[in-house]
Amino acid sequence: MLSISKKDELQKLLLITIVCSGFTILVSTMLGKEVVKQVTDVMYIITTAAFVILSSILVLRFKKTGDHGKAWLFLLGTSVSWFLAETTWTAYELIYDKNPFPSIADVFYIAGYPLMLGFLMYYLKPVRRAITKKMILAAIMISATIAIPSIYMAYSPEPDVTVFENVLATAYPILDSIIFIPAIIGIALFFRGEVNFTWSLICTGILCFAIGDIGFQYATFTNTYYTGHPADIVLMWSYILFSFGVYDHVRIFRKSGQSTENSQLDNWC
Amino acid sequence: MMTFQKRDVMKALTSIAIQKVLNDISAPAYEKVSKKLQKEYKCYIPDCYDHPEYLESVLKSIFGNAYTAIVEQIRVELAEHIDDNGINLLIKTMAR
Repeated sequence: MLSISKKDELQKLLLITIVCSGFTILVSTMLGKEVVKQVTDVMYIITTAAFVILSSILVLRFKKTGDHGKAWLFLLGTSVSWFLAETTWTAYELIYDKNPFPSIADVFYIAGYPLMLGFLMYYLKPVRRAITKKMILAAIMISATIAIPSIYMAYSPEPDVTVFENVLATAYPILDSIIFIPAIIGIALFFRGEVNFTWSLICTGILCFAIGDIGFQYATFTNTYYTGHPADIVLMWSYILFSFGVYDHVRIFRKSGQSTENSQLDNWC
Repeated sequence: MMTFQKRDVMKALTSIAIQKVLNDISAPAYEKVSKKLQKEYKCYIPDCYDHPEYLESVLKSIFGNAYTAIVEQIRVELAEHIDDNGINLLIKTMAR
């Protein structure tokens, strides 16, 4: 009962955070593009920093033990990579007053994807025997639908969009759809389990990433992108969802007051 | 000289197999399962030899549908001793 009420509280807090973050960006937009740029950049750094801190707590808790220990190390790598990306983006925009796309920030954004894939693969590794061909096929089909609009858009950008910008902006939704495959499989596997809430949040986070990246691609191709664009609200939500997902796992696997490990085998007879 | 009954040895082997499989997932996963067994059924990992349904229920509640893969892994670990009635029953109960 206690854990159910805590989960309800967590869901409420998540909803409030999502609504507040979206509302803050919308209000800032009304105050002008300079204001929304600064507010969004700072919010990105705060949310990714929270993601790094929570992932670090999990890494310390799991201490590289088993496949899940390795998985959380990969997720920490992902969060650090995206934190560096957001910090670099902000530095380009607010300190050097340069256009951050494309820039070194993209290296960090892209680097986060193989690390995220590593996290998802290592988390699913101990339960891989439960993965069916049907699940894989369904996940691939769902993920492919995400990549289709971005691939279609890649063929019709504005003339002043360079080939490099086109490839880079198209790469994000495609990479999102790739990491979406194991995320969907995870949802099916852990359905009705305690860890399913974490997976639902991670899966929804990846979906938000894909929607945000498609929005970013569209805005880039139509030269309408600015920091604080509605696509940024969705991208911000994905970091929030990842952070809450990780927090939920911290809550499920938090250390108990007394060690049970030694007492277990002492009581076998 | 100390003597052990076969049943006690099988019980210990089952405990070790469960512990290994859960620790391969992660140490906190093992702790979580142990804690939940104590909290909900007032039993320890070795007691799962007599009450496999407790372990089945706990694994299901934590890992959802994926518990079948964990049960399968435990079965692989205990494959050599499947002729023991207790282990056979444990595997059959959990793999329902």
